[in-house]
Amino acid sequence: MKQQSESGYDAVARIDDDEPERLTRPRGKIAAAVSLFGELLITLGVLLALFVVYSLWWTNVLADRESKKQGNHVRENWAKGPGALDTKDGIGFLHVPSMKNGEVLVKSGTGSKILNEGVAGFYRAPVKSAMPWDAKGNFTLAAHRDGHGAKFHNIHKVKAGDAVVFETRDTWYVYKVYSELRETSKYNVEVLDPLPKESGAKKPGRFLTLTTCTPVYTSDYRYIVWAELERTEKVDSKRTRPKELS
Amino acid sequence: MYVWIWRHLPGNAWVRALISLLLVLAIVYVLFQYVFPWAEPLLPFNDVTVDNGMAVNR
Repeated sequence: MKQQSESGYDAVARIDDDEPERLTRPRGKIAAAVSLFGELLITLGVLLALFVVYSLWWTNVLADRESKKQGNHVRENWAKGPGALDTKDGIGFLHVPSMKNGEVLVKSGTGSKILNEGVAGFYRAPVKSAMPWDAKGNFTLAAHRDGHGAKFHNIHKVKAGDAVVFETRDTWYVYKVYSELRETSKYNVEVLDPLPKESGAKKPGRFLTLTTCTPVYTSDYRYIVWAELERTEKVDSKRTRPKELS
Repeated sequence: MYVWIWRHLPGNAWVRALISLLLVLAIVYVLFQYVFPWAEPLLPFNDVTVDNGMAVNR
């Protein structure tokens, strides 16, 4: 076959069978087609493998880079002193010690463009999120389970009693997890209600809801974690962290 | 298919290997930069919000 290097498959197929020095048997059209089909299958396999690499690794690299940049920008603005609340760049940072993922920038909106930046977003629709500083309501957040920073990847490690801390320019909001829903329909928007009844909450309060997809690597269902505000702490000049984060 | 490409590359085996490597890298770049970001929202792997079935592009 190598000796026929200029001519391709068809020519190979016409080679005389009885030529003694030829090592490979001549190949017919069917053999060539089967070989092409095999190569296409291999190509498809490699393509899918690359897509997995892209989804689970490369999007994380990009998102972590982006969220770090944006997080630094927010902290720089905070350091400049008091000013208006900046909902465009991000309203603060979420710390969930039991997820072991450091701090997560929280921005407005849950569209894929926002969440793909490696941040958590608060819901503007279908149920508008309350803000942590509101007297009552539910502060509802979404973030990716895998890829794009995978900020809520370890949500299954968050148990009742764990602390969730939200940090703004001047205040630490310390929440305590009290309920979780390990699997629910993606149409279950009631989990975002100001008083999320499914969590077992009976009277209005200051709640926090984390939502992401489950099981890992798919988005068949949603995983919900609820927490309720325990106390707030003023941020001091050294930004001393509340004891839950130390 | 791949044999055909190999045959049509210029130079000796080393040059061909180098060109092949560059071709592979170029293809991976195009996939990661353009094709996968386009394909990803069309696949049901990364929807994380609860909604009324209208979350995409909000």
